[in-house]
Amino acid sequence: MKQLESQYTKILSDYMVNQTEKNLYIAQNFTRQLIQKSISPEDVVSIHKNAVEQIFPDQMSEAQPAYDFLIEVMVHYGMAHREHQSLLQKQAEYEMEMNIATNIQKTLLKTYVPQLQSIDIGKISVPIRKMNGDYVHFFHDGEDYLSVAVTDVVGKGVPAALCMSMVKYGLETLAYAYKDPSYVLEVINRVIEKGVDDSMFVSMFYGCLNVKQNIFSYASAGHEPALHYRAKVDQFFPVEAKGLLLGVLPETSYSFHEIVLEENDMIIMMTDGVTEFRAQNDLNSREVITALIKANRHLTAQQLCQLLYKEIEKVQNFKLSDDFTVVILKK
Amino acid sequence: MTCKSSVEIITEWDIVAARQLGRNEAKALGFDTVDQARITTAISELARNIYLYASIGMIQIERVETITEKKIVVVASDQGPGIKDVRKVMEDGYSTSGGLGAGLPGVKRLMDSLDIHSVIGVGTTIRAEKSLR
Amino acid sequence: MDVTIHFKEINHKLFGFVEGEIDTFTASGLREELEAVKITEGLEIELDLSKVNYMDSTGLGIFVAFYKRALRENGKVKLVGLSNRLQRLFEITGLSDLMDIETDKKVELR
Repeated sequence: MKQLESQYTKILSDYMVNQTEKNLYIAQNFTRQLIQKSISPEDVVSIHKNAVEQIFPDQMSEAQPAYDFLIEVMVHYGMAHREHQSLLQKQAEYEMEMNIATNIQKTLLKTYVPQLQSIDIGKISVPIRKMNGDYVHFFHDGEDYLSVAVTDVVGKGVPAALCMSMVKYGLETLAYAYKDPSYVLEVINRVIEKGVDDSMFVSMFYGCLNVKQNIFSYASAGHEPALHYRAKVDQFFPVEAKGLLLGVLPETSYSFHEIVLEENDMIIMMTDGVTEFRAQNDLNSREVITALIKANRHLTAQQLCQLLYKEIEKVQNFKLSDDFTVVILKK
Repeated sequence: MTCKSSVEIITEWDIVAARQLGRNEAKALGFDTVDQARITTAISELARNIYLYASIGMIQIERVETITEKKIVVVASDQGPGIKDVRKVMEDGYSTSGGLGAGLPGVKRLMDSLDIHSVIGVGTTIRAEKSLR
Repeated sequence: MDVTIHFKEINHKLFGFVEGEIDTFTASGLREELEAVKITEGLEIELDLSKVNYMDSTGLGIFVAFYKRALRENGKVKLVGLSNRLQRLFEITGLSDLMDIETDKKVELR
């Protein structure tokens, strides 16, 4: 402190003599040092007071009470300043914890996209915040069956991510029954209904493709309808199924439906982050999606997913309002 | 050598009396102007808490002088409602008097140490110390 | 943009008028207001959503939570004045089969 005081006195007395911009620049650099050493406002006033006393010893008797008054005032500013510092540090700690949690979630909820000879699979899932409330799960049995669950937890961020871990482990225990969409939804519904509070829900689209027979059976729990692109007629058909959100009622049954896939057909599954255009009410999101896919149907499933993300992000002025997930199965 | 004196806090003007007592004692111990201002502000905050939340209490100031150290000890005690969660009032950002920087964490930083002893329905005793360096 | 709700009680029936945009950020206020509603046995509650111009899935969650509580405490909840967009949201999620819902049109006809 003594050293800072003599440095300050020197800088101030130089300024009192010359009053140039250079003096002030030196003062600014010195201030940086004061902040770095977290010198409090009241100490700065005290340093100034002592410096003035050295430079103008004869003027001090009159001004001293005024300086002491300012020190009193600055003590309270100093309190606020130090609280702010401590809150900043706390925030940095939270952020670090959040990053760790995000990494854990990424590992926990990692989706393994299977590679099949006869089916081209594409998948993209981008969280709006650090943690993803969407999740995609695949099951497959060689080249015979491929199942996919596309899920969306109501809400975003940490609570959604925690809930999703539960869904994932629920799905994993259902490996024995993965060919049965209704059964899978009924069991997961019970798991969620027991496990979370009243305002937490999950929507899920569950489909199973019998690869050999080209039959896609599916069921939906309050999820955004999927799309079926029929190459033969170059048209899209909604893949809809009635079913309540998971986690609302303890006993809910889900019916399943079947469609037949032909050569070059596609199934496009998505979450509401893809279809919901908040800013543009008049814009029909499904038309945007179907037009894009139609025009680029020659691309691979993965390329299509990425293109959809890129284009829809653009349509929404790079301000997506929800987690964004698309899965495309292409024959 | 220990020298104790105290002020009862009943009206808002008693806060001023507590401040005055604290400043005199701090000065007598040899604290510089800035530390006098810090100690006084800390006392002011403690007295204000009594006035606002407990309505009646006491600020006691001890001057401790031994061969090895000189310190001021401020004890604020009241028979108020007590503090439910002491850990919480010691968190930054949680301020009962509403202003940024006020509250007990601020007082702790102005002094060297702060101890809280509180029993719900019985009262609170806060002890803050600052040594002369 | 915020969301507000105000209540009116007429002939032992509680009417709630919701206005604004319901999303993750505005939702907590609405949730608290609805949680504060005391549901007595047989109380009928009608929530008017005709002035809700946006609602995301978080908003949906709030109404379902309120509905579930009413069910437990033997009250009755009805949502009225839903725009086509909201109606569609309740249909996709399967909630329209569960909850008592009226679209905007029916309200106008009354």
